[in-house]
Amino acid sequence: MAHFGMDPFSAGPLWHNGPAPCGIYNFPGRPTEAAGGFIERSKQPITTGTSVMAFKFDNGVEKGVAIAADTLGSYGSLARFRDCRRLFKVNNQIILGAGGDYADFQYVQSMIDQKNIDDECLDDGFSMKPKAIYTWLTNVMYNRRSKMDPFWNNFVVAGIQDGEPYLGSVDKLGTAYEDNIIGTGLGMQLGVPLIREAFEKKPLMSRSEAQQLLVHTMEVLFYRDARSFPKYQIGIVTADGVTISDPLYLDNQKWGFALYVSLSLKPEIMCF
Amino acid sequence: MIHRSALRLIKMFLTRSEYDRGVNTFSPEGRLFQVEYAIEAIKLGSTAIGICTNEGVVLAVEKRITSPLMEPTTIEKIVEVDKHIGCAVSGLIADSRTMVDRARLECQNHWFSYNEKMSVESVAQAVSNLAIQFGDSDDDGGAMSRPFGVAILFAGCDEKGPQLFHMDPSGTFVQFDAKAIGSGSEGAQQSLQEQYHKSMTLKEALTSALTILKQVMEEKLSSTNVEVVTVTPQKFFHMYSKDEVEEVIKDIS
Amino acid sequence: MAVVETYAGYGPIQAQRFSPYADNGGSIVAIAGEDFAVIGSDTRLTVGYAINTREQNKLFRLSDKTVLGSCGCWCDVLTLTRVLNARMMMYNHEHQKVMGTQAVAQLLSTMLYYKRFFPYYVSNILAGLDENGKGAVYHYDPVGHYERNYYYAGGASSALLQPFLDNQVGLKNMENVTKEIISLEKAVAVVKDAFISAAEREIHTGDAIMINIIDKNGIREEKFALRKD
Repeated sequence: MAHFGMDPFSAGPLWHNGPAPCGIYNFPGRPTEAAGGFIERSKQPITTGTSVMAFKFDNGVEKGVAIAADTLGSYGSLARFRDCRRLFKVNNQIILGAGGDYADFQYVQSMIDQKNIDDECLDDGFSMKPKAIYTWLTNVMYNRRSKMDPFWNNFVVAGIQDGEPYLGSVDKLGTAYEDNIIGTGLGMQLGVPLIREAFEKKPLMSRSEAQQLLVHTMEVLFYRDARSFPKYQIGIVTADGVTISDPLYLDNQKWGFALYVSLSLKPEIMCF
Repeated sequence: MIHRSALRLIKMFLTRSEYDRGVNTFSPEGRLFQVEYAIEAIKLGSTAIGICTNEGVVLAVEKRITSPLMEPTTIEKIVEVDKHIGCAVSGLIADSRTMVDRARLECQNHWFSYNEKMSVESVAQAVSNLAIQFGDSDDDGGAMSRPFGVAILFAGCDEKGPQLFHMDPSGTFVQFDAKAIGSGSEGAQQSLQEQYHKSMTLKEALTSALTILKQVMEEKLSSTNVEVVTVTPQKFFHMYSKDEVEEVIKDIS
Repeated sequence: MAVVETYAGYGPIQAQRFSPYADNGGSIVAIAGEDFAVIGSDTRLTVGYAINTREQNKLFRLSDKTVLGSCGCWCDVLTLTRVLNARMMMYNHEHQKVMGTQAVAQLLSTMLYYKRFFPYYVSNILAGLDENGKGAVYHYDPVGHYERNYYYAGGASSALLQPFLDNQVGLKNMENVTKEIISLEKAVAVVKDAFISAAEREIHTGDAIMINIIDKNGIREEKFALRKD
């Protein structure tokens, strides 16, 4: 079976599982360079989004996945765009959250839109399930990283798979994993422990409790993440469908913990 | 005035000629004439016999020495595919080289990838995949414009024990206890059916194969015009030397 | 962040150089006995000092007789194991039999070597029963060198685990001991002890271990908690 589609009269690929001795190689994943031409690759992200936070909740009555991301498009350290929405409703059972390069995210969005159209054309009433999008994204991301031309994103897939909450994450290398709590970027360092702690105290959470917990997490992230923004969206996926909120504002900001900023003129107080 | 049956023959010839050119065109009766002709071509080839026993497989073939000036040892009709597999061919020998090359390649490739011997059936399957890659279109890069004109007996010993497979130009391969191919195959197959039994020893199979070969051969059987090979779990592929062949011939009346 | 030299007059700029690899930690230990093989791996998936998840199984069941433990660059692990599973399925269809442990061992080596110049950055340890029903452990380097052993440790904590195995399983540097083949109970206990010790000192290993015990009756799975810090 190994020889279909090649010249059957040639000696055949004896070493088809490895480079042939003395061959001129074009190794998998190495981009071929057009004569004298340059290859464009993304070496760094330009307009970026920061953390995405998500977790599953289930209190026996309500179960689903809650996900949140702020709406800032940073341009390096410049808070450049204030309404970059990073939660994307894929279909009635999936929300895709994205961090990293916003242009790459929009490109992936358009790919998914096209997939949805193709699905729709089949007219069989089926749409993609979360695990399918997660696996597809893993392959897309791994493919691009293998071409040394990655999509510079962290994706979080939140959804309902056959009635059960589903949560998975894929990064720019194609590193993929599933878990009950997922945070990307600074959210992995700061947000996840907060949520873990909350779940240890209260393992069975309702939809509104989940939402409250997310609001709190986004607040903490806003205070500590210099690339974050007080305007964010919360998405919830349950068996009933997907809701993505309009941007919420973090009002009543409490900057009390930054007291010492104003006291910095008195160095003796700063010397703990 | 032409006889009615002769007319019918002419008509049949005419209709047939419409369908026996393209190798990928079925006749209205659902036949591929070129493939059938290829199977006919084998019946022009010299006889080859294979017998499978519990102790191993025997292959014996007739070598047609068409001229006393010919060097008999250059006619190779049984070849080693891998240490544990041999094959006997009949028909257009040049075609068989391509198939044997593929068989050897697949065996080595399997060893390279999996560090194990390829099974006899898998080798037959791999060669069969090549055998059916004929066609008259240029775009699919078909292997041949016509079917291969050879039949092959694959004899080998793998984890399932000694086995014998037969493959014809249509790519069909079937396992046999004993099988004859080539010009004397009809008579030989009949004799095999009479003589074969499940508890045959390798020695009995050897004698039986050569006895039958002797019966169907036009020339007198000798150590120069036959080739004998055994494939056993102990010694794997073993080609009989002239002396060894003579030793076996002695026992045949 | 690497400093990238640019054209004269513009000065160096800060740019993130893209690396296609990541070190996601994880460790694997496998021990072969007379008629069994034990393989264990931790369940922590890390990137730098952060933990992605505490529940990532790194053992891949390839057949009833063969289990692959794989860790290192997780995206490569995912791809490698997916391709390997597909190859095993194709083999199954082509040859009407399940691939044996030795065949898997060779196939894995050829697959790794195929990517010799853009390797899968993965530590692999293959455990299972060979065609005679004896325990087998194979270990690999990222580009396909492989060797059959009785016991082996791989991954982030290999430097901590291997000496322990050398002593406890290989009975190296021991005096007055009778060298005998390890029992199943001892093997499982050694796997647990090895990981407990590794988790004390190596931050990329921890949370829990999954153990697969392969014998003629099939594969049994066991989970064992480690420290989570």
